Amino acid sequence: MSTPTPRTEAQPQLKSGAIGFVDALVIGLASTSPAYSLAAVVGAVVALVGVYAPGVFLASFVPMLLIASAFYYLNRADQDCGTTFSWVTRAMGPWIGWLGGWAIAMTGVLVIGSLADVGVRFGLLALQLDSLAGNTFVVRTLTVLLIIAMTAVCVIGTEFSAKLQNGLIIAQVGALLVFAGIALVKGLSGDGVEGGGLTPSLSWLNPFGAGGAALTGGLLLGVFIYWGWESAVNLTEETQDSESTPGKAAIVSTVVLLVTYLGVTIAILSYFGTAFLADRSGEEETIFATLATEVMGPWDWVLLAAVSTSAIASTQTTILPASRTGLSMARRHAMPSSLARISPRFRTPDVSTWTVAAIAIAWYLVVNLISENALFDSLTALSLLIAFYYSLTGIACAVFHRRQLTRSVKDLLLIGVGPVIGSLLLIWLLVESIGDLADPANSYSGVSWFGVGPPLVIGIGIFLVGVVFMFVWRVKDARFWAEKTTTAERLQADIAAGRSAAAVEDPAP
Amino acid sequence: MSIVLGYDESPGARRALGLAIDLAAKLDEELVLVYGAAPPGVVGEEAGEHGKALAEIGRTALAHAVTAADAAGVATVVEVVAEKPVPALLAAGDRHEARVIVVGTYGESPLRGAFLGSVAYKLLHLSTRPVLCVPAEPE
Repeated sequence: MSTPTPRTEAQPQLKSGAIGFVDALVIGLASTSPAYSLAAVVGAVVALVGVYAPGVFLASFVPMLLIASAFYYLNRADQDCGTTFSWVTRAMGPWIGWLGGWAIAMTGVLVIGSLADVGVRFGLLALQLDSLAGNTFVVRTLTVLLIIAMTAVCVIGTEFSAKLQNGLIIAQVGALLVFAGIALVKGLSGDGVEGGGLTPSLSWLNPFGAGGAALTGGLLLGVFIYWGWESAVNLTEETQDSESTPGKAAIVSTVVLLVTYLGVTIAILSYFGTAFLADRSGEEETIFATLATEVMGPWDWVLLAAVSTSAIASTQTTILPASRTGLSMARRHAMPSSLARISPRFRTPDVSTWTVAAIAIAWYLVVNLISENALFDSLTALSLLIAFYYSLTGIACAVFHRRQLTRSVKDLLLIGVGPVIGSLLLIWLLVESIGDLADPANSYSGVSWFGVGPPLVIGIGIFLVGVVFMFVWRVKDARFWAEKTTTAERLQADIAAGRSAAAVEDPAP
Repeated sequence: MSIVLGYDESPGARRALGLAIDLAAKLDEELVLVYGAAPPGVVGEEAGEHGKALAEIGRTALAHAVTAADAAGVATVVEVVAEKPVPALLAAGDRHEARVIVVGTYGESPLRGAFLGSVAYKLLHLSTRPVLCVPAEPE
């Protein structure tokens, strides 16, 4: 019998070399879910800004690019937690950090219903079950079942084969580009629908072409289609050869994304013209399916299936981060501790995941009952929240690194000026949109709730519920509010000295 | 040589712990306690906190196991690694030249085990070393 002495313990750390170029590329594409994003907003954006839709898509990429830089540098300084909630708390204090975390969790919750709805609808259309896809009761029932099924998948922690996922993503982008190619060729050769057959012109890339409220409405939806793209630049540590692979993958995925969005939009405009889309602005849920059938004839199921798989896969990948934000907040006593529970059997945050699903289902059903154009009002409200937490992240980046900004011109531009300009652009967009949305005539559904547009009511409503919840929780449990702000170099020094998580109290030492 | 045990405080794992301690004591070999703390599912920037939570659970579980082994006078090595359970156990098996890898099972039907991604199930098929699966005590 030996005495029990040798005890070594390896600290868990991110596995480097886990991801190669193709995976990093696919992550950048998958997290934006191009097929679903286009299907969800292209009709609305064209209805808003006409032929200037490509310009609006191009312009809305600019703030995204600047904010992605903020995500990159914050992630480098503080990989442990890696969420806006944690960064903003460290840079600007618990009150603002809490609201940032709330905004992220809520964006996830809000979009799940829309994703599952699109997944179900386009899935039925791809299977040629058009009559079922038109039956609201069937679509809603299947949507709820899909959310429950995807949540179960998240809780069980089942892993889909990475290769299958990669294949699906590449097939999606392929299907979109083929659609764009056919539509463009037919449109240019005069085979488009009546009123279509437009020749693309450089002026389409001018975002200011339509001006005013149309522009801010379009830009807001444009922010939505790039939402998630920052993940592509965020995987440095996990990627093989982290000096160049993630950089290259991020650039390539960006180019692919831009080419897809601009190509598809230009092709749609060229083939259909703007009148065709404006006439059908009431059919926003299925407008993309109509376009697919017009252009691809009997092969439309390829594109419909691409949209459906894109939306279903995103349903799962959206539930996951939303529940992890809940877990992260609960572990720092910013939310009820039951949300931090981890299932011993499946090793996943089960309470948090089911909570996210329950709120998402309730939200989906309620919004569909009270609003005719629930999908778009919801997406516009969602964009308000995205703009809010992105701009917080951009400012947090500059504040957190404030002592490092003077080290070099590159640092000043990429860590300070860039993210702040991105934030200012988004804040401008927020303010403008709030002003525009205050007039119900500018909302997609054109109806008025309490004298203002529904998206603004939804957006502000969610924000206010968050504020009330925050104050109630502050009274109940003040531990999170004892957290102190820190800066990049203090955090580094603390980590080097072995004090975990800087001035932020470690939840369970 | 050593005895490698995957321990997570599930009923099967508790019985496996007793057995592994017995084996280690009888053979006078080291007991390697392993907990794979990588979160299940695809990568994502939100995974960090999830991994930390799992690592804490793992450290608590292994601390309990160490207490039990100490009481029996068995030397232990504790490994909380940032890998999923199966690769963590396989790697620890190689590092410590495991005579046998011991894991607890939930006593589920084979189909359920395969569908839910049972560690024992995967390990049996992937390991080049002997694997000992210990079901929970019958009620």
